[in-house]
Amino acid sequence: MPDIKVTPLGAGQDVGRSCILVSIGGKNIMLDCGMHMGYNDDRRFPDFSYITQNGRLTEFLDCVIISHFHLDHCGALPYMSEMVGYDGPIYMTHPTKAICPILLEDFRKITVDKKGETNFFTSQMIKDCMKKVVPLNLHQTVQVDEELEIKAYYAGHVLGAAMVQIKVGSESVVYTGDYNMTPDRHLGAAWIDKCRPDLLISESTYATTIRDSKRCRERDFLKKVHETVERGGKVLIPVFALGRAQELCILLETFWERMNLKAPIYFSTGLTEKANHYYKLFITWTNQKIRKTFVQRNMFEFKHIKAFDRSYADNPGPMVVFATPGMLHAGQSLLIFKKWAGNEKNMVIMPGYCVQGTVGHKILNGQKKLEMEGRATVIIGTLDVKLQVEYMSFSAHADAKGIMQLIRMAEPRNMLLVHGEAKKMEFLKDKIEQEFSISCYMPANGETTSIVTNPSVPVDISLNLLKREMALGGPLPDAKRPRTMHGTLIMKDNSLRLVSPEQALKELGLSEHQLRFTCRVQLHDPHSDNDTLGRIYTHLKSVLKTYSIQHVPDGTVIVESIVIKVTSSAEEPNLKVILLSWSYQDEELGSFLSTLLKKGLPS
Amino acid sequence: MDISSDESDDWFIESLNTYKDLHVFQLEHPTKVIEWTGDKNICVAGYTGSRSEILELLLPLKLYAGENQGLCAERDFKVQHGGFSEEPIESLIHISGTRCVVTSGSSSSTLQIWDIGGDDSDVIKRTGVINLKSTSVKGCKIAPGLTDEPAVLHGSCISEVQLTEIATGRVLYTVAKESSDSVSGLQFVNACVFLICASDGTLFMGDTRDPSTCHYPLEDSKSGLHWAFGLRSDSSQSEPSGCTVARLSSSGHMLLSDLRNLQSPFCQTQLNVQHDASKNDFLNVSWAPVLDRCLSVSGFDGTVHIYNTINWSTEGQSPQPVFSHRGHEMSDEAKYSGSPPVVTTHSWHQSRPKTLLSAATDGSLHVWDWVDKITDR
Repeated sequence: MPDIKVTPLGAGQDVGRSCILVSIGGKNIMLDCGMHMGYNDDRRFPDFSYITQNGRLTEFLDCVIISHFHLDHCGALPYMSEMVGYDGPIYMTHPTKAICPILLEDFRKITVDKKGETNFFTSQMIKDCMKKVVPLNLHQTVQVDEELEIKAYYAGHVLGAAMVQIKVGSESVVYTGDYNMTPDRHLGAAWIDKCRPDLLISESTYATTIRDSKRCRERDFLKKVHETVERGGKVLIPVFALGRAQELCILLETFWERMNLKAPIYFSTGLTEKANHYYKLFITWTNQKIRKTFVQRNMFEFKHIKAFDRSYADNPGPMVVFATPGMLHAGQSLLIFKKWAGNEKNMVIMPGYCVQGTVGHKILNGQKKLEMEGRATVIIGTLDVKLQVEYMSFSAHADAKGIMQLIRMAEPRNMLLVHGEAKKMEFLKDKIEQEFSISCYMPANGETTSIVTNPSVPVDISLNLLKREMALGGPLPDAKRPRTMHGTLIMKDNSLRLVSPEQALKELGLSEHQLRFTCRVQLHDPHSDNDTLGRIYTHLKSVLKTYSIQHVPDGTVIVESIVIKVTSSAEEPNLKVILLSWSYQDEELGSFLSTLLKKGLPS
Repeated sequence: MDISSDESDDWFIESLNTYKDLHVFQLEHPTKVIEWTGDKNICVAGYTGSRSEILELLLPLKLYAGENQGLCAERDFKVQHGGFSEEPIESLIHISGTRCVVTSGSSSSTLQIWDIGGDDSDVIKRTGVINLKSTSVKGCKIAPGLTDEPAVLHGSCISEVQLTEIATGRVLYTVAKESSDSVSGLQFVNACVFLICASDGTLFMGDTRDPSTCHYPLEDSKSGLHWAFGLRSDSSQSEPSGCTVARLSSSGHMLLSDLRNLQSPFCQTQLNVQHDASKNDFLNVSWAPVLDRCLSVSGFDGTVHIYNTINWSTEGQSPQPVFSHRGHEMSDEAKYSGSPPVVTTHSWHQSRPKTLLSAATDGSLHVWDWVDKITDR
């Protein structure tokens, strides 16, 4: 039976890294290639030995698709393509292609330079990897090869995030990556058409949560900033240029305006240039509001928010500063942090995940004393962390309700949830199965799930054959009411054609042969041959009411194409020999008649 | 710029000062029950479809992080267990000390008994039923027994009130009162003494050791009003004294009575409510478990009002609430729907003095910790 196979790579209950293998219609696709951020050793990379024990992956994979730039979805990509080895195409959206290398390089620097790791990809590897990338546009079907095609859909979540549809013939799979169903200030909500894939693959991580509203998260953020500024403290918000910075700036600006606040808000110049550049490039990926803002003026031209100068950090009094990089691992945000950390009136708000080894990660784990490194990682002193540390998550994810909405939109025939514990997901599985009458699978990492599909095989029918079928009458062809028909199927190259047998013979240059069967039945009947034939005719007419039966004057009875004759020998005139002859097409009826006549005639 | 300055935004900005914590959630289906099943867990259940979900939710961990609240980013509810009911759920109670809940619905003549489950499965399973004498459209009212052996007190009209042992289905006690008045609420005061409030405001007090019950009708009962009650017990269950009963009518009339003298309420007042709640049965009055003499009221509209009854007097103007939660009226969903949401139920947190949970007809579920302008500044 044709099927689709899905294997999430990883081990056991491992969550935190996405790398899913899909086999469909003879093609192998890798969906995402994430790094596990919790491990320091080789466990952070997906286990590619499932694909092949040793050697390069190129011949085993038809393509790799990356859903978005978060490291748990693309962090292991350079490792896979350059260290394990893969030379085939890597698909991702344009914004992802632009942003991925920046994040990968930052990540590499932290891991190698700060933590001294050796088994890691190099800067050159990142560059070589990105050369293999083929960028995708939304809603555009891309032919990977003659049989495999893919299409990207908008996923929300972060700039450039996509859900992907993979299609081979009439079988298809949709992979969601990370997505969200509610729009926020700078991104829209995920959207997909009723594409009815055989399988929809999604994360189960947030499937059992009910998300607190965005408004409340923003409220919390404003409250913290306000409280700090009111008591004369300084607020540092380390941001990644393309993350929430834009959104938080808009939020603060409006709040400042409404509350008539005077404390200065700054953003570092590195932030503006980068952000402006990327938003300009990818304006179609943001939502309506942002586009309107952009069209009117420069995105970062605010009334209350000004460009930061290094010297301002020493100014007395309250202020708010947005600075890069987001994990406090280097650069301006770290410099400012060092200056402000010692004062308990101050606050640092971390708006997202921080990689192990960064100052961000340490303070989010409650560390109060940090070792400060100078050049060449020489420790030059300790820093007391007295300021208030706040961890605020603004990331947009779908929750239990969102998953149901997406299934309603796409109408898949089957559902598959990865990265969940089966016993903690039984309720969701029941819910999905009951509401949509589809099967819901939840494989453990490393486990392969086979989903049987029922693909339709499209066949071209010749016009003659079609006309002939139409002439037979009966109900018109209806998708819901299949009708059996006869023809000859010719499979040549990749095409399938249904033609009449005569045409097939002609095309193939074969001559037609007719098969006829003959059968003799002996019967005792004290009548003349003609009378016996007449009796046979009457008998058959009473039994075979729906068939065409003729009694021809030349001494034969014809049933459809079957010819019946009666003869007898001069020596035994009562021993009749009934001769039946039929063509191959009427074999069933012929057999039936011979069996029937063997039983004798009624008196 | 982008945020339009409408009422809803104003309210959110105001909330920076008026709430310590505020969490706003949207359930897939609205609930009219919020029942505590643990320190950090509640059960909610649907009442709008023929098939309803029962969910056990874990409250956002951020609320429990104490001093480390800043480092905890967990703001979401976690669905820990879920199950399906064949009928809309009108009431849900938890049997203390167990993982058992009992529900009553609007379409069947049984009470359903459920096992919420532990760590090994996330499915809430039905384990049994208790047959009722009749079916009530509004669902049978239920209350947990306070004895060691799990039991449930139930009835949709006074004469049908009985106490049934859950494990065996054995009827432990029946009210010997011929009255077809419908029950608005019932609750045990201690292991043996219980109170029933009829829809017309009459209170019945009974004792499972004694078949007779005493009843205390209202002095001037106005027809057409529907009454709900809330019981506040002080400390231990041994002595029924020290218990205050609040009765609330669908027109906002409030009576406070002491259990030792249910005949004459010690306080009567008229709350200033905009709408008549008689068209729905969401009327809810609850006493705060920690704050002294504070009670909360909801069901008239999309608001939950909190009052301090300490200064209430029988004459005089209607009392002003010390706090009003208008979050349900201010939600995005409320903006776009035709009719404003009505709060279906609310519940106080067992130990956090000023934390409440409230749910409304639009499926919203809020967790909020309000600031008392007088005491908290």
